[in-house]
Amino acid sequence: MIGSELGAEIVAKIGPVEITNTVATTWGIMLLFTLLALLVRWQLQTEPNRLQTLVEAVLTAIDEALIEILPPDSVRRVLPFVATLWLFVLTANLVGLIPGLHSPTRDLSATSALAALVFAASHWFGIRGRGLKNHFRHYIEPSIILLPFHIISEISRTLALAVRLFGNMMSLEMAALLVLLIAGFLVPVPLLMLHVVEAVIQAYIFGMLALIYIAGALEAEANETTSNSSEENHE
Amino acid sequence: MQLDWTTFILEILNFLVLVWILKRFLYRPVLDLLATRQQKLSDAAEHAQKMCEEAEALRLQYESRLADWQRECENNRRQLHEELALTRTREMDNLKKALAAEEEKLRARNEKLLASRESVLARSAVDKAYEQAAAMLNRMASPQLTQKIVDIFLEDLAALNETDQSALRKAAASLSADSLAAVVSAHPLDQDLQAAIRKALSGAAGQDIDLDSAFSEDPSLIAGIRTIVGECQMHANLADELAFFKRQANHAK
Repeated sequence: MIGSELGAEIVAKIGPVEITNTVATTWGIMLLFTLLALLVRWQLQTEPNRLQTLVEAVLTAIDEALIEILPPDSVRRVLPFVATLWLFVLTANLVGLIPGLHSPTRDLSATSALAALVFAASHWFGIRGRGLKNHFRHYIEPSIILLPFHIISEISRTLALAVRLFGNMMSLEMAALLVLLIAGFLVPVPLLMLHVVEAVIQAYIFGMLALIYIAGALEAEANETTSNSSEENHE
Repeated sequence: MQLDWTTFILEILNFLVLVWILKRFLYRPVLDLLATRQQKLSDAAEHAQKMCEEAEALRLQYESRLADWQRECENNRRQLHEELALTRTREMDNLKKALAAEEEKLRARNEKLLASRESVLARSAVDKAYEQAAAMLNRMASPQLTQKIVDIFLEDLAALNETDQSALRKAAASLSADSLAAVVSAHPLDQDLQAAIRKALSGAAGQDIDLDSAFSEDPSLIAGIRTIVGECQMHANLADELAFFKRQANHAK
């Protein structure tokens, strides 16, 4: 029973494509965000209402976080990806609190996909910002001997990104499930509170690490030290 | 814990679609609105700053003009005070001069009036003195006094200086029938005295002068005689002496 609760279940099949509950929940989150975006867009005005004020506050906070780390000319280019990452991971983490639903981030396939996107995004923005040649040059600097270590670093940090989020969220849901089975109704409430905190923290860490990787790609030398130290701290 | 590649690929696609949707319908409109609002705030702040600078410039201009105006007022006031002081000094000098002139004129007029009054008084006093002296001498007059005065006349005639003697001789030489010699006395003269007068007069004139019908009396002479030889008159009487003194006193005044 526990295995069925923790694993990804196939909820539908579109031709040869099997749709798991992870993908279905993701679609639900996408629908929610789409509706929210359309609602805000529809009600957008110079004198903001409460919802618009909330959205503006969130976007302003994300924008300021990006301004502190990224070069000024890259902020607008990177903001949609990082902001979506933060919002999606946070929402996906918190979805597990709803009875009958599971966090998509407790599925290694989903976190791996996000980590792969971060990996690709860091190179995409790096190439766009500095050019193909300049972007890949820093892998052989100061010596070509460091190239394998750079490649290992890239792979390991991407894996770490995927596994960290997956491990935290899966263990959280597993612990909540075990307590619920053993202790009964209402007892796991404090654990659910911990779930909220952990969900926020893991979303923040994931988004911040993605931001740091992208910033490192944009300013390789300047941010290399910051990236490593931040990763160690989060670990 | 297994990796489902279908889920992996679908999650990637889902996320990319979500990024596009949010970028298209949320981030861009909201960020554009924020940028517009920020631009408006910046414009408003810039406008306010510009207005503040203009107000400051106007304030400085106003203060400068006020200072200039006050300086000009002060200069005008000082100039006015100086002109007033100058005018006051000039008018005071003119007034002092006018007062001094008036005072001088008044003093001169007073002095003139005083002198005139003194002259009138002196003349009156002389007239009174003459009248009183004449009255007193009239009371004292007598034939003896006339004789005494004639004696003195004879002595003076004998001791006549050269100039008077020359004038007498010239007058005696020009005697004619129309202008005869005459002797007027206050009292009647006796024959001896008449002869002595004729003799002394002829001697002084250097020629014989006919005085036979020339003697007459005039009491107004008080005492003494008046001798007339042509154009030459010789006064030896109190009335003529008093008249002489009176003329001298009036002339001196």
